[in-house]
Amino acid sequence: MTNHWNDLQHTDCALIIGANPAENHPISFRWLTKAKENGGKIVSVDPRFTRTSAQADVYAALRSGTDIPFIGGMINYAIQNNLIHKEYVVKYTNASFIVKEGYDFKDGLFSGYDQTKRAYDKTKWVIETTEDGKPVKDETLENPRSVFQLMKKHYSRYDVDTVTAVTGTPKDDYLKVCETFCSTGKVGKSGTIMYAMGTTQHTVGSQNVRIYAILQLLLGNIGLPGGGINAMRGESNVQGSTDFGLLFDNLTGYLAAPKATLPEHVTLKGYLEKETPKTGYWSNKPKFVVSLLKSWYGNNATADNEFGYQFLPKGNKNYSHINLFNAMYKGELEGAFMFGTNPVVGGPNAGKEKEALGNLKWMVAIDLWETETSAFWQTGAGSDPSKINTEVFLLPASASFEKEGSISNSSRWMQYRWKAIDSKGEARPDLDIIHELALKLKKLYANSPKSADKPFLFLDWNYGTGEVPDIDLVAKEINGYDLKTGKLLKTFGDLKDDGSTSSGNWIYSGFYPEEGKNLSKRRDNVDTGNANYLNWSFAWPANRRILYNRASADPSGQPWSKEKAVIWWDAAQKKWIGNDVPDFKAVTAPTEPGGTGAFMMNKDGVALLFAPTLNDGPFPEHYEPFESPVPNVFSSQQLNPATVIIEGDFNKKGGKAKYPIVGTTYRVSEHWQSGSMTRNQEWLSELAGHMFVEMSEEFAKERGIKNKDKIVVSSARGEIKAYAMVTKRFKPYNVNGKKVHQIGMPWHFGFKGFATGDTANRLTPHIGDANTMIPEFKAFLCDVRRAD
Amino acid sequence: MVELNLSRRQFLKLSGATAATLAIVELGFDDKRAYAKTKEFKIAKTTVTPTICCYCGVGCGILVHTKKNEVVYTEGDPDNPINEGKLCSKGTTLRQLYTSEKRLTKPLYRAPGSSKWEEKDWGWMLDTIAKRTKDTRDASFVEVENGITVNKTEKIASLGGAALDNEETYLLAKLMRGLGITYLEHQARI
Amino acid sequence: MAEFVKYIDVTKCDGCRACMVACKNWNDLPAEHTDFLGSVQSHTKTTADTWNVLQYIEHENSKGGLEYLFRHSSCFHCTDAACQKVCPESAISYTDFGSVVIDQDKCVGCGYCVQNCPFEVISLKEYKDKNGETYRKSHKCTMCTDRLEEGLQPACVTTCHTGAMEFGKKDEMIRKAEKRVSEIRGRFPNTMVYNPPGVGGTHTVYVLAERPSVYGLPENPKVPTSAVVWKDYAQPIGKMMLGATTMAVVAGFVSNKLFNKGGHGHGEEGGEDYE
Repeated sequence: MTNHWNDLQHTDCALIIGANPAENHPISFRWLTKAKENGGKIVSVDPRFTRTSAQADVYAALRSGTDIPFIGGMINYAIQNNLIHKEYVVKYTNASFIVKEGYDFKDGLFSGYDQTKRAYDKTKWVIETTEDGKPVKDETLENPRSVFQLMKKHYSRYDVDTVTAVTGTPKDDYLKVCETFCSTGKVGKSGTIMYAMGTTQHTVGSQNVRIYAILQLLLGNIGLPGGGINAMRGESNVQGSTDFGLLFDNLTGYLAAPKATLPEHVTLKGYLEKETPKTGYWSNKPKFVVSLLKSWYGNNATADNEFGYQFLPKGNKNYSHINLFNAMYKGELEGAFMFGTNPVVGGPNAGKEKEALGNLKWMVAIDLWETETSAFWQTGAGSDPSKINTEVFLLPASASFEKEGSISNSSRWMQYRWKAIDSKGEARPDLDIIHELALKLKKLYANSPKSADKPFLFLDWNYGTGEVPDIDLVAKEINGYDLKTGKLLKTFGDLKDDGSTSSGNWIYSGFYPEEGKNLSKRRDNVDTGNANYLNWSFAWPANRRILYNRASADPSGQPWSKEKAVIWWDAAQKKWIGNDVPDFKAVTAPTEPGGTGAFMMNKDGVALLFAPTLNDGPFPEHYEPFESPVPNVFSSQQLNPATVIIEGDFNKKGGKAKYPIVGTTYRVSEHWQSGSMTRNQEWLSELAGHMFVEMSEEFAKERGIKNKDKIVVSSARGEIKAYAMVTKRFKPYNVNGKKVHQIGMPWHFGFKGFATGDTANRLTPHIGDANTMIPEFKAFLCDVRRAD
Repeated sequence: MVELNLSRRQFLKLSGATAATLAIVELGFDDKRAYAKTKEFKIAKTTVTPTICCYCGVGCGILVHTKKNEVVYTEGDPDNPINEGKLCSKGTTLRQLYTSEKRLTKPLYRAPGSSKWEEKDWGWMLDTIAKRTKDTRDASFVEVENGITVNKTEKIASLGGAALDNEETYLLAKLMRGLGITYLEHQARI
Repeated sequence: MAEFVKYIDVTKCDGCRACMVACKNWNDLPAEHTDFLGSVQSHTKTTADTWNVLQYIEHENSKGGLEYLFRHSSCFHCTDAACQKVCPESAISYTDFGSVVIDQDKCVGCGYCVQNCPFEVISLKEYKDKNGETYRKSHKCTMCTDRLEEGLQPACVTTCHTGAMEFGKKDEMIRKAEKRVSEIRGRFPNTMVYNPPGVGGTHTVYVLAERPSVYGLPENPKVPTSAVVWKDYAQPIGKMMLGATTMAVVAGFVSNKLFNKGGHGHGEEGGEDYE
């Protein structure tokens, strides 16, 4: 989230798309209800009418997988009707930048496409620069090669009629959404876009998010209270676990993992040169990287050995979830750790992921429960135990309140959880388990002369004596030290690239500025202004609550409006003041060089309407899902041309002849993710005890299905049984004059726990987004029949 | 330990129950109240510890009431500005994470080809896991690939972590990368 | 002392059902087996172990538009409570807060309260004693009277995040309800305050989005005449004549004949449109 939960109350309009917060982030509605009481509007865009839609002022249906047409049409509407915040767009985005010849877009393809590689040559998408490397601009935005004009042209194809013919949205509803949300382009108004996995779990997931951001920039909604682009995270600490580098491609703090495939990455020097932009805040990257290496390798990290850079593994491919399971399926993996995760329910094409686990020699599961994953070898999973040779270690883990530590919510607030009670039975905190395992491994490797063992032996591991680690030492290592004085760092601004500082995660540096002062433990809930609660816990980075808040002020440093003020330049004090920590150099005057660079993380200090960094194009463009019942109306490119396709048995594709129905998955309020936490509890199992599939009355009638009937849903991957939930909340879509049916189902169920049911993900495909490889759970083809 | 500022008075006030409290003061207690009179007030002698909800990314504050090594009640933390004492159905039932009979309380081991779990002690489990990890790593470790130092193993994967604390995710990432593991993923992807 | 009511604005409810589990959590109520009902609703109505149920209703309004309506449904704590009137053991009484509570020590499980409740919120539960003998007790929402006495609000109200539920002084809450109804009439033309006079008003006051019948509520619930007869005339006389326990047995006979029958508890005088 660029903003935060409490800030939702300041919005004039919340566009909720690809999300159902009333069910999946219910407390957000405490603040949205306040927004409504203040006159704000709520717009819900969803394939079905949800509990969120019930609370909305405007509801619009869209067929799964058509966010880009939906928002692209809004961009077109805002531009055509002159509803954009022009000065904001000119000053704070790259709208005025001139794009070099070589960039082009024809029939769904951007220039530089290589069909055989299914990849683009991004050097074709370049901004024109002057001799000293500055972008060439046209602030009138009239130049036909300006980003603005190219964008305007791109989305002029997204007219209301074409858009609604693709999305299946009734035209009146669509126009109501356009009108309601685009009204926030006015100075003095702000609108927020709230999204979740309904947005990201598509082959165009990254571009879905991108197009939301483009709309928000055009309306001048980023950096303002009640504005922003707000990803609602589904797990309590998926923000933190991502910040701390539990994805293959990122070390901590969004520093890229070194790659064997990039010649520059052979040395630390080359890596830093390659990864560090010349301008913008990321120009400080070497300080973050070297400080991280100091935290990981301690005294073994020296200037002479590139601070231990060579100890880091260098991968040569994409190791993300789908590829990981594909490798496992092919027998390429031997062992796996599962820390509180349940891919046999939560993974795409879950039947195949379950099969893949049987190819492991050993698996360690750390969990509060026996999950479908740790029990994948049982007959209940449809397995024959005698044929599965995987050794399984299941370790009982402590619940969140049986241990202490911090977690980071969607607002990037790092809040502390204290220990309320000893762990149940012999359960132990994950921290202790990881620590003791590390100590045991250290012991096994001790004194090994092998060079292969050096990287691990040199890993610095000092968290007190004994089996139980001192969590405070871990926290302080994350914050980082001035290694000369041994003092804790007060801010990441003090980090150095010469090995004299350490920090395990630069973006968190400063949360523990002095001995005994872990700011995530702060419980001062006095409102410090505009509900930013600056003394409650700690928000990364630097305790900022609204990111890009420099953009809440005009180029001269004064708030665009009194109503939406966050920070402003105080000429007398010669600094930025306000009710939040400035997301800007606090003493840089608006008139100084860079004084209007509201997006300081980016190279030129501006937000990118034209983003030449993504794999699938500088502008979001619509492509149909991997499995779709209709042809792409916008171009002859049916599927995202940059999406990687895994052929064969691991990812069977279904056609519309056999599987004419669009399927999607979602969650219900009463269960959480794969259900292991909630289906193992009686009260929540009582509230939502059955696997169901929602379908429209029209569709049910066509198939002779009555409410509560037992039905079978099938896809190219498998089939599941469930109850039919026939509802008025799903309606068939009119897609280009053709009736298209969609059904939806929760993905929480499995064969363990109190509430059991078939696993929806046995139906979903192993195909991912072109940038992130996040699987396309949200739109696939299936068919439905009565079970009897 | 956290210093909780939960004097009874403040607690009542923050629960928004001022009106009712005043009424009680006006009225005094009615001895003849006609129900459950023998029951001790549920949270009268509990230890209260603040925590943050373990479910979605909102980060609501929750108070855990414990008594005699049992979780007797959980409720929204009225001091937490995010939820101001309010919770959804999942947050409200946090207590059953402790009380559920389905909680794992002992390490379990499943031998190759076996159709059942066996209880094992922690020492044996962690020793064996460390051995398996080392064996697989040693047999698969690549120091140099095409002339480049790569120091990795592609035979071990680590998945999960979105429910762990920050300190835990930090140590997990450090340990796994320290061992040379490249297949490192968690729920942010799915 | 001022009267207190639970105010429920169903138009602010987002259907999260925290109220259902907050009740279970506070009152230590066990989970029950639930069948699939064809919607996300978990129970058809309140039971002895589930004192409030969230209703989910898909309603097509007069303009053909879809409304997805939610309602927290539990004991109304009637000012003129039929259950209190018919209880032969005087196990049901009014508290100073206006809540209506069942004294579990006195309840003999005769079930008249169950039969006579105009809102069908009371249920019997069967228990076994030490000797394996079965006995029954009546259960329903207590309005968390134990919490009220400690200055806390009912558990369901405390947890409700949208402000759909509040607990406060009756006159203030009714004013609030009336104001709210006037604000949302544009969106919900049939909105109304539900505080039925036929039961002397209730200590649960609703702002409904639609007519009561849409929620399966009686438009104009009344205390059954038979209950009035029983409580105000027959029972006092009977009690004088017989011992209390015997009375319950006799009452079983009398009441089954006297009072309403069938599955619907609103009695002969109950409202129309009660589905």
